[in-house]
Amino acid sequence: MQRSPSSYPLMWRVMDALEAAFAAIWPKGGGKYTPYLMLTPAIVLVGTLVVGLLYIGDSSLRTLDKSTFQFSEFWTLENYVRAFSEPFIFTVVWRSLMGAVIVTIVTLMLAFPYAYVMVRTPNAFLRKFLLIALFLPFFIGQVVRAYGWLIILGNQGIVNDVLGLVGVEPLRLLFNYPAVLFGLVQYMLPFAVLMLAPALTAIPEEIEAAAGSLGASWVETMTHVVLPMAKPGLIGAGLVVLTLSLTDFAMPAILGGGTQDFIANAIYDQFFRTSDQGFGATLALLLIALGSMLVGVVFAVFGAGTLALDGSQK
Amino acid sequence: MPIDKTFNRRQLLKTTAAVGAAGAFVASTPSILRAAEPDKPSEIIVRAWGGPWVEALKNGVSDRFTAETGIRVIHDLTEDNEIQPKVWAAVAQGRTPPIHINWDTTTNATKSALRGVCEDLSDLSNIAGTTDLAKPVGVEGYPIVNTYGYVYVLAYRPSAFPDGPPKSYHDLLDPKFKGRLAFYNDGIGFHFPAQVAGGGSLDGIPDAMDPAWEFITKMKAQNPLLGEDPDFVTWFQNGEIDAACTISTNALGAKKNGVDIAWTVPDEGAKFDTDGLWIPKGHSEGDLYWSKAYINSALTKESQQIWLDGLGLPGVVPGLTPPPGMAGDPAYPTKPEDFERLIRISGQVQVENESEWFSKFKTIMQG
Repeated sequence: MQRSPSSYPLMWRVMDALEAAFAAIWPKGGGKYTPYLMLTPAIVLVGTLVVGLLYIGDSSLRTLDKSTFQFSEFWTLENYVRAFSEPFIFTVVWRSLMGAVIVTIVTLMLAFPYAYVMVRTPNAFLRKFLLIALFLPFFIGQVVRAYGWLIILGNQGIVNDVLGLVGVEPLRLLFNYPAVLFGLVQYMLPFAVLMLAPALTAIPEEIEAAAGSLGASWVETMTHVVLPMAKPGLIGAGLVVLTLSLTDFAMPAILGGGTQDFIANAIYDQFFRTSDQGFGATLALLLIALGSMLVGVVFAVFGAGTLALDGSQK
Repeated sequence: MPIDKTFNRRQLLKTTAAVGAAGAFVASTPSILRAAEPDKPSEIIVRAWGGPWVEALKNGVSDRFTAETGIRVIHDLTEDNEIQPKVWAAVAQGRTPPIHINWDTTTNATKSALRGVCEDLSDLSNIAGTTDLAKPVGVEGYPIVNTYGYVYVLAYRPSAFPDGPPKSYHDLLDPKFKGRLAFYNDGIGFHFPAQVAGGGSLDGIPDAMDPAWEFITKMKAQNPLLGEDPDFVTWFQNGEIDAACTISTNALGAKKNGVDIAWTVPDEGAKFDTDGLWIPKGHSEGDLYWSKAYINSALTKESQQIWLDGLGLPGVVPGLTPPPGMAGDPAYPTKPEDFERLIRISGQVQVENESEWFSKFKTIMQG
């Protein structure tokens, strides 16, 4: 029987063409190294990042000579000693870490019901409305959204105007830690919903129905069936929100009123305000290390299998 | 010397007219044009601050320069702190810098001068007609030319001070101003008055500044806002704050926007500083020549008058007329006695210590 051209997937054709090209260039390779050659673009991409990191690592080991504003010729750990001994850096790191954890927890608590309703609702209008409401913020940049909150929450903003109607004096709703966290949650919510929705879609509705028919209440079904099965989505969304919040710059800068710096703001100051790129590079590496450690802890606690990274899920 | 017989009266008149015209052109252009004039670039790029700052520069210097030379001036509004590493990297890598002229704070510019990335501007003819303020302190020659001075005044909302302007920074410690004050987020402009307000002396800068940190710690209890230049105008406009330590130009900008605002120099004094213009190394001979011509034109009395009328600041050329309402203003010092209440610390001391001051200020304010 003759196979129709459409039954041979396009991707396979591309792979065949690549294999043929490699064989033509390097006949003796015998196709043994073809898979490795196909990794080349990814290796180049990651390699570029690694080279950048090496440069940053080199900078972090050099101090600023304030008589010439040049890097020192020699390597020293002075910047690292400073980073671990300055109280301000400790404050900023702790604030960033706590902020990222709080934002992640709150965002997941808000994103889960949103995603669940969006996936499960039989009402097409409601589903479309939730989808539009989800994607609309993506068209508005983070900085614009932050300035939007300035207008809404400012002393002469909409919220205070409404409060004024019932005789409440203007409240300082901005330029504090809760304002920064609020802005971050609002910014992260669509990311979390987008990560959770596929995980919830993958849970067959019949399983929930089966749980119900076996006597589980709705709450029991959610806690013993849906939430455990949605764990890959929750972990994935949590990781994205955690790392993005930890490294955020704009929300602390705009909604913090200059008093709620995160690590990224401290790095900016070193690079652009005091011209001490060595110390800025040190803080940048510490931020990367902190983020990597957090991801490592999550994997250690929940296991990489929660994200289907162990190949166990077919 | 006998005149050649063929050189008649008409030719004499023609020659005289030509020499006169050439002389007039040379007189109106910088003396660096003594050498042959290189080809003109189609445009030069000047980094500037936005809002009223760039408007004033455009009206006072850039438009006049374009009218005189035909060279278009592009204003790059990248923040001064952010352009600095880009310029430094370009010079280090032998690339053409992204800007021709940097309008910069003198402290920032001094860092670039110490790093050796600034062209020498000593040969600008108009420097001879400037005051001592034009000369940068702590560096050799003129890698930077200061173009005006400014004061970090105590700006306030008169309605919040019904008994008259605040006389001292101590007045701001009144509990009614809790959350209603603002400073720069690195404390610039406030470190030195705080040193005096804390009971210290200016001689203690930079080695004995505990009084400053103690007073800043007291001020922290007032929960002030911390920001940048545009923030102050916005905060005053939105009624977020009642008083701020800021550059008088920002207060003037807010006033022009209809905000009820005034400013004063408190008993502790106010920091006086300068901004300047400089050219990064790495430009072609022609671009360098016309960039120097731009800075030279910024030092003419006419350009200074228009430029600084827009900023409300005192220039470096004698005989400028103060902008309306600024004569005798503490933010517009011109006479020696005007400077008695102003604090001027050498650029070198500032450059060597400001990162530590910034860090201490942030440690206190964000601790």
